[in-house]
Amino acid sequence: MEIFAQSVTSGVLTGVLYAMIGIGLTVVFGVMRIINLAHGEMVMLGMFGAFWGQALWHLDPFVSLLLWAPLMFVAGTLLYRLLLRKILPGGELNTLLYTAGLSLLVANLALFLWSGDYRTISLSYGASPLRVLGVSVSVPLALAFGLALALTAGLWLFLARTDLGRAIRATSQNGEAALLMGIDVEKVAVITFGMGTALAGAAGVLLAPSLYLYPTVGELLIVKCFVVVVLGGLGSVPGAIAGGVLLGVVESLGAVYVSSAYKDGIGFVLFLLVLLYRPAGLFGVGK
Amino acid sequence: MTRQLAPWLAGALLLAAVPALVESPFAIHVCILVLMWTALGAAWNLLGGFAGQVSFGHASLFGVGAYTTIILYLRAGVAPWWGMPAGGLAAALVSLPVGLLCFRLRGPYFSLATLAVSELVKLVALNWESVTNGPVGYLITALPPLRLFGHAVDWESKTPFYVVAAALALAALAATALLRRARLGAYLVAIREDEEAAEAVGIDTVRAKVLTLALSAFVAGTAGGFYAFYFRYVDPDAVLGLSLSMEMVFIAVVGGLGTVGGPLVGAVFLTTVGEAVRERFPSGHLVFYGLFMMLVIRFLPEGIWGRARRLATGLQERALRHGAA
Amino acid sequence: MALLEVEGLTRHFGGLRAVADLSFALREGEILGLIGPNGAGKTTVFHLVTGFLRPSAGEIRLAGRSLVGLRPHAVARRGIARTFQIVKPFPGLTVKENVALAAFLRHRARRDAEAAAAEVLERLELSHRSGTLASQLNLMDQKRLEMAKALATRPRVLLLDEPMGGLNPAEVDVASGMVERIREGGVAVILVEHVMKAIMRISDRVLVVNQGQKIAEGPPAAVVQEPAVLAAYFGKRVA
Repeated sequence: MEIFAQSVTSGVLTGVLYAMIGIGLTVVFGVMRIINLAHGEMVMLGMFGAFWGQALWHLDPFVSLLLWAPLMFVAGTLLYRLLLRKILPGGELNTLLYTAGLSLLVANLALFLWSGDYRTISLSYGASPLRVLGVSVSVPLALAFGLALALTAGLWLFLARTDLGRAIRATSQNGEAALLMGIDVEKVAVITFGMGTALAGAAGVLLAPSLYLYPTVGELLIVKCFVVVVLGGLGSVPGAIAGGVLLGVVESLGAVYVSSAYKDGIGFVLFLLVLLYRPAGLFGVGK
Repeated sequence: MTRQLAPWLAGALLLAAVPALVESPFAIHVCILVLMWTALGAAWNLLGGFAGQVSFGHASLFGVGAYTTIILYLRAGVAPWWGMPAGGLAAALVSLPVGLLCFRLRGPYFSLATLAVSELVKLVALNWESVTNGPVGYLITALPPLRLFGHAVDWESKTPFYVVAAALALAALAATALLRRARLGAYLVAIREDEEAAEAVGIDTVRAKVLTLALSAFVAGTAGGFYAFYFRYVDPDAVLGLSLSMEMVFIAVVGGLGTVGGPLVGAVFLTTVGEAVRERFPSGHLVFYGLFMMLVIRFLPEGIWGRARRLATGLQERALRHGAA
Repeated sequence: MALLEVEGLTRHFGGLRAVADLSFALREGEILGLIGPNGAGKTTVFHLVTGFLRPSAGEIRLAGRSLVGLRPHAVARRGIARTFQIVKPFPGLTVKENVALAAFLRHRARRDAEAAAAEVLERLELSHRSGTLASQLNLMDQKRLEMAKALATRPRVLLLDEPMGGLNPAEVDVASGMVERIREGGVAVILVEHVMKAIMRISDRVLVVNQGQKIAEGPPAAVVQEPAVLAAYFGKRVA
């Protein structure tokens, strides 16, 4: 029972971070029909941001979020304006291939600059785990979880309550109608892409103290991220949250009760099953 | 007919002349790589270029071929030159259920499914230790002796491998050319253009795609077998990595989707640039692959060969018009 | 025996019944008009007959053999061809290549398929456009190409989904003539069309559907007099 509680807890904690990465991918898909294969590299950049912030300027990774999230937002808007916008008219597959190229470029530039070594971030408060109700929780992971929850809640409020947020949701539901209603679809697209990138980067910063970081980590993350958004239904934010938590829990239970070697495989199998039998996602909200 | 065969004969002659003209083992090595990648790009192009089905999982087919060849040799003593086609067959067999599953999905969803399948195959290779030797993989220490035309083949020289690679690449390109002229080739183009309309005129789209995937898998698997034979080393990262799948995509796209010569042009271009950079640092070529991919999609969506061919036809037509006037 | 028999055809989408217990028959050499208000389920009927959708219930037979459960390509092979309301050419191919692809269904060799395609194009007066890319045709020629592709599969039954939508009156006359000639060539036709003048002129019988159900069937002149049809079209209450 204790093992069960322990693995569900750590599953939920990681799951929320997966969800955060997934939300970034899914809002971008919802608004622009871009499946951004370079999304994992955005997470990787966030991780390395946290690492270098600590190594060079003794910046606490969680504090450095204040620096990297806005920077990633700007980077995302530039990426969209300067590069992606010209590719979009070429169709979904062209965009997919283009972001595949971008992904390879960024990952291997990072490999060139920072070498392929596995790095870790050690925190003074990360050494001894917290014990809550008989379940032990790593402090950095708990902090990351809290911040991810706060960011996700903030995003939710933004989408639900502000005019811009409503415009984004409207565009995501029906781009043409949004255009007819006088929504500046182009502006919505830029902001959405910036937001998606910022979310990925922020998730990277938050994950950095809990994971090994290396330049090609994006490859692993992007595949997980697809699992998350497909589980929840491509284009759906609540779906991504549910999908993220589900994947986190399934992985961590699977590692304990099935096989730790095939832990990642459980996600893929789930992914294929959902793609084939519930293409709108487990909760039927995607499109 | 002779006009169609002429470029093939010229190409074969040129390929045959290379070992006599090129001394440096490194240059021959680069030629071998170019030819292997030509075959792989052509394999991917059959499905991705002609039928418009973008697979991100072709590394798994390559890997199945490589593992089959090396395991058959090390465990059962089957010589790699028999192991190569066996690897191709194994890959084609594996591709059948994968195709039936993934082809129920369209467009980007198909691509994502192939990605997932490929990652699953890699996981199996990493963990099914009794068969695959896990992350350690397999190493061939000595190749079996072979006598051809009264001479013992020297496995330390690169020439025999060059001959095999050249045959493989030529066969892959010839298969593409034949497919393009056959009814199946026309069906694939119809599927790429509009899958529903293709069904409506009586094309069994699933059958056409599964057949093409099997053909593509056979070529990719045979090339995987060649990899095991030439590099004598197979492990999950080397033959099942995602970047390997991507490289096949890039070669076909950069060369020209749905063309016969595209994969050759793409392989020559990307492999030579890649090897030049790889000298300096190990994965530097991937930086350039990524960059070229982006540039080609932005500025040259029909690929290098596609553009060149269009320019050539344009010039020909202009010349004809001048001639007529 | 009728050539095409449809019995109790039903299709649900979730809670919505798009086609409900619809029965009709098409005779050899007949033109059957299928009309009804927007959203009446006409296109769904085509999707069901040609295998693009599976019926929730009901039976469809061509010359006595059931078509239910066959995929679209197999239905085409049995001898039912269709056009799409929003035309679906292979845009990157020429007109001739488009039609030859359809002709491959009955001809193994490329040369035979191309000859068959040329003949169909001749019949539909589209030969002069043989070398044009399908994406560059005007609307009338796109509709012609759509019919040419369907005919090149040598069907016994042809389902035409609004072949005259968007055409001007002169073009409608040309298209009507084409449909009549197709029938004279021994192909039975089901015609979904909103251009009433054409339906009235060329249909032997008309089938009126509303909300997925048959509300009238018979010769065109008689059907338009029926109160249920008037009510469906003009929203009048039937006294």
